Amino acid sequence: MTASKGILLFARNNSQIDYIKQAYFLAQRAKKYLNLPTSIVTDSVAYLSHEYPDHAKVFDKVIPIVWDQDDARENTVFSQFEKHSLKSFYDGTLISKKLDWKNELRSHAYDVSPYTATLLLDTDIVICNSDWLKCFEHANDFLIYKQSTDLLDVDRGETFERISDTSIDFYWATAVFFRKTETNKTFFDLVQHIQENWEHYCSIFQINTPYFRNDYAFSIAIHIMNGYQKGDFAKSMPGKLYFVTDKCILWDINKEKNKILLEKPRHTGEYTAITIKDANLHCMNKFSLNRCIDEQ
Amino acid sequence: MDERLEKALDFSNYMVTLNNQKRFLREQFKENIIHYFNGGQFTVTKDLVTFVNMLVEKGNDTDIVLIDDNETPIMVQDLDEFLSNIIDTYFSAANTYHTEYQKLIKKRSVEKLTDYDS
Repeated sequence: MTASKGILLFARNNSQIDYIKQAYFLAQRAKKYLNLPTSIVTDSVAYLSHEYPDHAKVFDKVIPIVWDQDDARENTVFSQFEKHSLKSFYDGTLISKKLDWKNELRSHAYDVSPYTATLLLDTDIVICNSDWLKCFEHANDFLIYKQSTDLLDVDRGETFERISDTSIDFYWATAVFFRKTETNKTFFDLVQHIQENWEHYCSIFQINTPYFRNDYAFSIAIHIMNGYQKGDFAKSMPGKLYFVTDKCILWDINKEKNKILLEKPRHTGEYTAITIKDANLHCMNKFSLNRCIDEQ
Repeated sequence: MDERLEKALDFSNYMVTLNNQKRFLREQFKENIIHYFNGGQFTVTKDLVTFVNMLVEKGNDTDIVLIDDNETPIMVQDLDEFLSNIIDTYFSAANTYHTEYQKLIKKRSVEKLTDYDS
């Protein structure tokens, strides 16, 4: 395989959230700020083609997810089981909807990526600078954020520090850089193994969550790769990733500037504003992100 | 609502927004003082500048190994140039911080604090 670099996105719509729209928007910004090609893994190829007839100009490759072994061929992702859970998605502090959370195929990223060096991103990221280009010059082959910057000044305790109060360090699977190496293949195979035995690993690592989370699976895999101790298998991604939870509202995207309404802790339904610029943003409120995309 | 309380709450809201923006500028400064070199990542602190400057002044300025933020050893062939670059990185970040901070504290309303154009 010749050396190549690019971005990989997984986009699987549910009944209310259009992840394809986010992926299309992200791919356009990736081209603008990083000048990198983007490939998309999706189970909604027909929808993509219908809604975005020019998608071939935006996406480098469209990688379909197939459910039947007979449909599996080169450049597809074969999923043997569909085991997603229902999760509450907030749109600010007052509105939430229980929807399908189809996050179970991210562990296939290594196998499906068409690139030798891949930046794996969530679709709910707004790229506003070129910091992530530095990944491709980095000495390490696997980069991930251990810390992300909360735009809301609130003490979240151990929530994003450890995967549970008495357990191991937390890593964000939101943005991950990897090169195709034997070690990274081992890592992603391990993530798949953890996923397939999720209840067992939840028990071992004292995780109290009803659903599978990639952040946790990646954190456990890093811990194991480090020899069940703190180590340096994973190094930090360059630049900062700011995040807002889905209880905050992305109000407007204006080129490199984002206006956000931050929830007021202990004052449900009230917000304060912040404007950030030149900063990559992970916007967990998918509804407000999609509204902003519609206004572009 | 009592007018005195209303005014105080307006000011309180303004202060929360101002502090949000100040915190973001601080975070951006911390990001901007990171110098990427030869696959390594160095946060330009006063410690780093002083240490590198000391090495240069003592004539140890070629093929020096420095330990980066990820505790990876990085070979620096020309330490003099490295020193010049980290000083540039630091002051470029500090100047941006100062400029943006001065702009920020002159804004006297929530609308202006979050305005894109000013």
